[in-house]
Amino acid sequence: MIVEGICIVIAIYCALRAVFERNTLKKLPFINAMNFAVTGTLVLLMPHPITIGVALAYFVGSTLESNAIASTFASRENQ
Amino acid sequence: MTDLIIILAIVLSLLGGFSTVFVRSSFDKLICLGILTSGAVLFLVNKGYLDVAICVSLLMPIGTIFILLLLGKKREETK
Repeated sequence: MIVEGICIVIAIYCALRAVFERNTLKKLPFINAMNFAVTGTLVLLMPHPITIGVALAYFVGSTLESNAIASTFASRENQ
Repeated sequence: MTDLIIILAIVLSLLGGFSTVFVRSSFDKLICLGILTSGAVLFLVNKGYLDVAICVSLLMPIGTIFILLLLGKKREETK
C-alpha cells in the first residue's frame, strides 16, 4: 500500500512540475518520470494478469512519444 | 484499493486537459496532451477494458509523430 502511494505522489508531483515549468526542454524529464510512475501504478494496483501487457504497451508508447517530441524540438532548435 | 488509481486518473486528465487549452506553444500542447492520454489510459484500465487500453497506448505516439511531422514541414515552408 505504501509503494503504490509513493508512485501516485510521484506521478502527481511530476505532472504538476511538467505543467508549470517554463522551459520546454526541462518539461520532458518530468514527463518521463511521470510515465514511469504511472506504469508502476498500473502494475501494482490492478490484480488482472493482462495488466502487464497494458503496462508494457503504455511504457513503450509513452517513451516513444516523449523522445519523438524531444528529438524534433532539438533539431528545430539547431536549425 | 482502486480508489487511488481513479484519483490519479482524475488529477492527470483534468490537469492535462486544462493545460492543453491554456498553453500557447505547440510543443507544450503536445506534452500536455501526453498527460491527458495517461489519464485516459488509467480510466480504461480501471473499468477493465484492457485490450482497448493496449490499443490506445500503442496508437497514441503515432498521432503525435504525425503532428510533429506537420510542425517540421510548416517550419521549412516558412523558411
